[in-house]
Amino acid sequence: MRLRPRGSSEANSGGVPRAERVGALITLEVWLYGPLARYAPAPSKASYSQLHLSLPDGSTMRDLLRHLGIPQAEKGITFVNGDLTDMPGLRADLGRVLHDGDRVGLLHTRSMWPFQYRFLAKTSPQLEKKLRRRDGGGVFHSSRARSSTREGR
Amino acid sequence: MAKILRVDMGAESAAFEEVPDKYRFARGRWLTSSLVVDEVQPTCHPLGPSNKLIFSPGIVTGTTAPTSARISVGGKSPLTGGIKESNAGTKFATMQARLGIAGIVIQGQPKNGSQYVLHIDKDGARLLPEDGLRGLGTYATTDALIGKYGNVGVCCIGPAGEMRMAMAGICFNDLENRASRYSGRGGLGAVMGSKGLKAIVVNSRGAPAVPIANKDLFEMGRKKLTSALRSHDITKPKGGLNTYGTAVLVNMLNEAGGLPTRNFSRGRFEKAADIAGEAIFEGNKARLGKELYNHACSPGCIIQCSNTWHSEDGSEAVSCIEYETVWAFGPDCEIGDLDVIGRLTWLCNDIGIDTIEAGGTVAVAMEGGVIPFGDGQGAIGLLEEVRKGTPLGHIIGAGAAVTGKVFGVVRVPVVKGQSMPAYDPRVVKGIGVTYATSTMGADHTAGYTIAPEILGVSGKVDSFDVKKAELSRNFQTTTAFIDSIGHCLFIAFAILDFPEGFEGMIEECNGVLGTNWMAEDVGRIGAEILARERDFNKGAGFTSADDRLPEFMKYEPLPPHNEVWNVSDEELDAVHGGLASR
Repeated sequence: MRLRPRGSSEANSGGVPRAERVGALITLEVWLYGPLARYAPAPSKASYSQLHLSLPDGSTMRDLLRHLGIPQAEKGITFVNGDLTDMPGLRADLGRVLHDGDRVGLLHTRSMWPFQYRFLAKTSPQLEKKLRRRDGGGVFHSSRARSSTREGR
Repeated sequence: MAKILRVDMGAESAAFEEVPDKYRFARGRWLTSSLVVDEVQPTCHPLGPSNKLIFSPGIVTGTTAPTSARISVGGKSPLTGGIKESNAGTKFATMQARLGIAGIVIQGQPKNGSQYVLHIDKDGARLLPEDGLRGLGTYATTDALIGKYGNVGVCCIGPAGEMRMAMAGICFNDLENRASRYSGRGGLGAVMGSKGLKAIVVNSRGAPAVPIANKDLFEMGRKKLTSALRSHDITKPKGGLNTYGTAVLVNMLNEAGGLPTRNFSRGRFEKAADIAGEAIFEGNKARLGKELYNHACSPGCIIQCSNTWHSEDGSEAVSCIEYETVWAFGPDCEIGDLDVIGRLTWLCNDIGIDTIEAGGTVAVAMEGGVIPFGDGQGAIGLLEEVRKGTPLGHIIGAGAAVTGKVFGVVRVPVVKGQSMPAYDPRVVKGIGVTYATSTMGADHTAGYTIAPEILGVSGKVDSFDVKKAELSRNFQTTTAFIDSIGHCLFIAFAILDFPEGFEGMIEECNGVLGTNWMAEDVGRIGAEILARERDFNKGAGFTSADDRLPEFMKYEPLPPHNEVWNVSDEELDAVHGGLASR
């Protein structure tokens, strides 16, 4: 099967139709917020970028970050289709395989989602597993909170 | 010795008395709720002669404790019919604290329709008739009083409070003397208006420092909490709040599919990113030609999360546009324009109304066909009706529940008559438990944080496994304590994440009061406050049927997740089932 060149992408100009799955490509809707907006290929706004881009089928979150040139250290809270998949410092979704039509939202590291405002919101099983290993679960706001250093009480 | 200033509007008197010994440590919400329970009949008419309005700064307010200039205002709410406390960050708080006044109790009513201004300084208190401010917006009122008395603490009501509208708030001045800090929720501005009190002026010039029982302990605590605040990613200088303000939550909740849109019929707004905190930051940068970081609302705040929005010509349009405000007029009304939202914010500030209730009510009015969704000019027109006190204005001014009833709307997102804030409970079920069971009605600040030691007491506790009722109860009790100490709720991030932050908070209180509180006292005091508030609400006629979310949320799935509200009544009743009644 002949593969298309890796990673064709275009900034959204309103009403760009989702690319049909031809060969081995998936189309993603990607939102980059705040300082991450500048990683869009042709950023038009300073505060966010909304892109539709195509990646090879089987691409992961790590592949998406590499494709856009986003350093992992700048990746904050992350959503895929509205499910929370990562929080700063946990690297819970880098290996997540992305699918055709997925909406990926990448928040920056100065964003926040306090626990009381995300308690019982949909969380991916991989992130939940990582959070369970932390004392207190997902209660803490900062990745450098007490739970990362304390053994138990 | 701390005093209570008791002001009788009917007798035109203002006299000091001692704080009862049982309340010698109680300040903030602890004092306002205690006095309301002691002195106000729960069955009274909130706008009648028996209701009282109480102002109390927190335990450490007026000291050098960081980010601690909060004042609680309490009474029976004309909006919910239950007990209410709402608080603001303002120099008024530190000034009242420095004058040694634990609580100002406003009671009674003037015999005719007179209006008054209460003046308080180191020489005493005077209640003076004042008709020259009648009908003025809060900006003009504040300007007039600052102009006359200098750099003082001012609180006032706008025309909405004078007209006793149930969404009226009480406006306090910020560090730049803008009329912009609000005891917003629950209509306490209407209570103030029903008592003929247009404004209070507090001047602490010449007053001594707030007494501190153990200066070394206080200083140790202050340093710990300050260090925690300065190092936490959310609260540190040029951190999340200082850069983007609370509006940084817009993009977050939108991606999560939990941003209530079009009167709580969807969870995502296509223009959310155009009005979010990041857009405010970049918009200001484009209009000013430089980056603008946020400012402190009140003395001693080191978090500095308040923004200012600027017009195209670079002039200041309004301060500040919080998350709740940008949501209520933005996604909830489907308005995607920051200049329009800024104007609506300014109007709420000036007319003297709660932005959450106002935006939520406009959205219900849109649902009812009064104006179309997305109609920014129409929304501005509705607020002008409120200002003018037309019949439509009075309907809007009465809040979302009343507006929904008048226009036959079913999708009315309220609990205990108070409009729901900016998190859809079908997506964030935890906050839904708090909305349903808080004594305050649908309130996003009532269950703000937990004491980490509460987690620790039962060993390794996993928030995924802890029953939501138990966690919500812990949220609410801890928050009731923080509402009493004068600190802004935003210390929550630092005190939960860093042990020394939490220790510092307790050491500050023990230092000021000479007490020996430990971690468990946080929960104990909070639980006492909540139990008393629950008793008041029971006396006012509330039952477990009032600890529920609106029916439509049970059967209307919220796109994109398409979830419904499915937390059982038993779980909701378990939240306070564990609290002892008096």
